[in-house]
Amino acid sequence: MQHTLEIKDLHAAVETKEGRKEILKGVNLTVHSGETHAIMGPNGSGKSTLAYTLAGHPKYEVESGQALLDGQDLLKMTADERAKAGLFLAMQYPVEVPGVSMTNFLRTAKTEVEGKAPAIRSWVKDLQGSMKKLRMDPKFAQRSVNEGFSGGEKKRAEVLQLELLKPKFAILDETDSGLDVDALRVVSEGVNRAKEDNDFGILMVTHYTRILRYIKPDIVHVFADGRFIKTGGPELADELEETGYDQYLPEGSDSESALA
Amino acid sequence: MSNATSQEVSMPVADPNDPYKAPALMPSSADKEPRSFSPDAFAVPTRKIDDWRYTPVERISEFFDVFTPSNATEISASYIDGSAVSESSGVSFRSIEKTQAPAGTVLKPSDRASAVQWASTDRTYALEITKDQSIPVLVNITGAGLALDALHLVIVAGENVHADIVLEHSGQARLAEGVELSTGKHSEVSLTSIQEWTNDSKHVGSHRLHVGEGAHLRHSVVTLSGDVVRLRMDQDFGGPEGDLNMLGIYFVDPGQHIEHRTMVVHNYPECKSRVVYKGALDGKDAHSTWVGNALIQPSAPNTDSYELNRNLVLTPGAIADSEPNLEIENGNIVGAGHASSVGRFDDEELFYLQSRGIPEIEARKLVVRGFFGELVDQIGIAEISKHLMGVIDRRLARGESDEMKHVLEEN
Ligand SMILES: Nc1ncnc2c1ncn2[C@@H]1O[C@H](COP(=O)(O)OP(=O)(O)OP(=O)(O)O)[C@@H](O)[C@H]1O
Ligand SMILES: [Mg+2]
Repeated sequence: MQHTLEIKDLHAAVETKEGRKEILKGVNLTVHSGETHAIMGPNGSGKSTLAYTLAGHPKYEVESGQALLDGQDLLKMTADERAKAGLFLAMQYPVEVPGVSMTNFLRTAKTEVEGKAPAIRSWVKDLQGSMKKLRMDPKFAQRSVNEGFSGGEKKRAEVLQLELLKPKFAILDETDSGLDVDALRVVSEGVNRAKEDNDFGILMVTHYTRILRYIKPDIVHVFADGRFIKTGGPELADELEETGYDQYLPEGSDSESALA
Repeated sequence: MSNATSQEVSMPVADPNDPYKAPALMPSSADKEPRSFSPDAFAVPTRKIDDWRYTPVERISEFFDVFTPSNATEISASYIDGSAVSESSGVSFRSIEKTQAPAGTVLKPSDRASAVQWASTDRTYALEITKDQSIPVLVNITGAGLALDALHLVIVAGENVHADIVLEHSGQARLAEGVELSTGKHSEVSLTSIQEWTNDSKHVGSHRLHVGEGAHLRHSVVTLSGDVVRLRMDQDFGGPEGDLNMLGIYFVDPGQHIEHRTMVVHNYPECKSRVVYKGALDGKDAHSTWVGNALIQPSAPNTDSYELNRNLVLTPGAIADSEPNLEIENGNIVGAGHASSVGRFDDEELFYLQSRGIPEIEARKLVVRGFFGELVDQIGIAEISKHLMGVIDRRLARGESDEMKHVLEEN
């Protein structure tokens, strides 16, 4: 089935000690099932903020705009309702949840997302199969969610959830960062497998073209200063790697990479 | 603290991620306090007295002077499945005179409230277990209103006996309670005391525990409700190789004060003690106190002792006091350590779980169940574990009520 995610003129802000700070300044984007969009842009430009805002993190306040999943406004839903509607966010910094085991967490999440408990035998098989393919030690299932996982292990665990929860749209926020060469391949294969099975749309935030060799983008966007400022084909990623973002940044911009 | 290095004590290595883990050699002075059946041996509690500094003494002042008890609190014993206990099955439950052994034989009161309880008590009961029990023995203690009452229970488990005992406190009460427990040589006994009072109840109690030579005692305390509940546990060993495991679980609602004090004394060689208390606090002015003392006397070489307290603050405005004290008078020990922490229920954890489709209330349940889970399992009595998790779930579900929302909005 074909699904559409439409982000329309999205503005969002965060409350800081120095007062309210607008981070998203008019984001527009449309993604369809089966498409892979790469999102590249300087540090601090608001890519994670966009991801969190779509997923419903309470820290980010939407000032205006819409995010429609098949016409339904995600921004009016609680975070769990958005997940149930079919949105998945693989976080740049997955959160540790002490005391809650991975298996218990995954089964609860699956039950909530599907609206009914998964059949026990096929569930165990799916879980074990996915973990094996992601080269995760079965012992991880008994450990607390993300607790004490290395950076790379956390990223694998995010992709494991992506495979099991089968969303309509997946936002991958720097899922490739902190992975060694082999892990990058394993994780990419995991994403591709999940996509083959479910044909979801992908918004992939990354700083590196390396992952784009494994997960081929249809469209590449440049995100700077709170909005998309350029869109192109896969060749745009290579161009960015060559030239950097300077040309896209306003004069006197305070972005980290501009300073560097 | 500076004398820590001059003593030959084997300490756990400090964990930089958990600064509280490093043991402190603090004078607990617990052993220097008087022990007496006479209320006059103790000053009337004020916040200035170390033992009472966390306690809202003004809310329980009626427990500080000898009173005439209502004698209305009901007490009965059966097996946990409802069937009757009998002498032939090795369980005797009866009313005795306060002056009659074994009453008053297990340690002496250690503070004014417990001496007052003893002096005020008209009704004393004895539960004696002489044979192994396959089903837990349940003592039901049901409050009969807010008239002040006093009650004393003495429990004796014989040599080699294996038995589980549950004290279940419920109803509305204002109760001063004394519990004595003496376990025989090489016995394996568990005593679980559950406090599930109405929200206007008050309960001030003293547990005095004697662990037999080579015996294993698991002492569990589960306090789920009450306006003020203050329980003090005093203990000693009756010979070498005793093993004491003290567990505590508490859940504190807005305005409630729930206090547990565990006073472990190592007076014989080769004994082991573990104290693990965990509490969740929910809402404004929920207040918990845990004070854990471990005293290792010169007569107790090769002691192995550890105490831990963890608190989970679910909503802002709650206060958890946590004070572990170690008093080590013997350099030749296997280990002595403690850990204590107060953690907040984290918004980021909540968001992470929610972003996977788990509604807020279920996310909270997951985290709190996870926090208590292992400890609940260790209580080792299936009926109780199940009941406990059910209560905790209902508590968290109630967080959704308008009243709780109001409390949350205030913060
Ligand atoms: N909770 C917050 N409080 C204060 N400032 C914030 C908060 N969240 C984001 N910001 C600020 O908003 C800007 C955008 O941050 P964001 O994390 O979205 O950037 P990013 O594009 O994902 O960067 P990176 O490539 O480094 O991951 C940054 O300047 C950041 O400091
Ligand atoms: Mg980011």
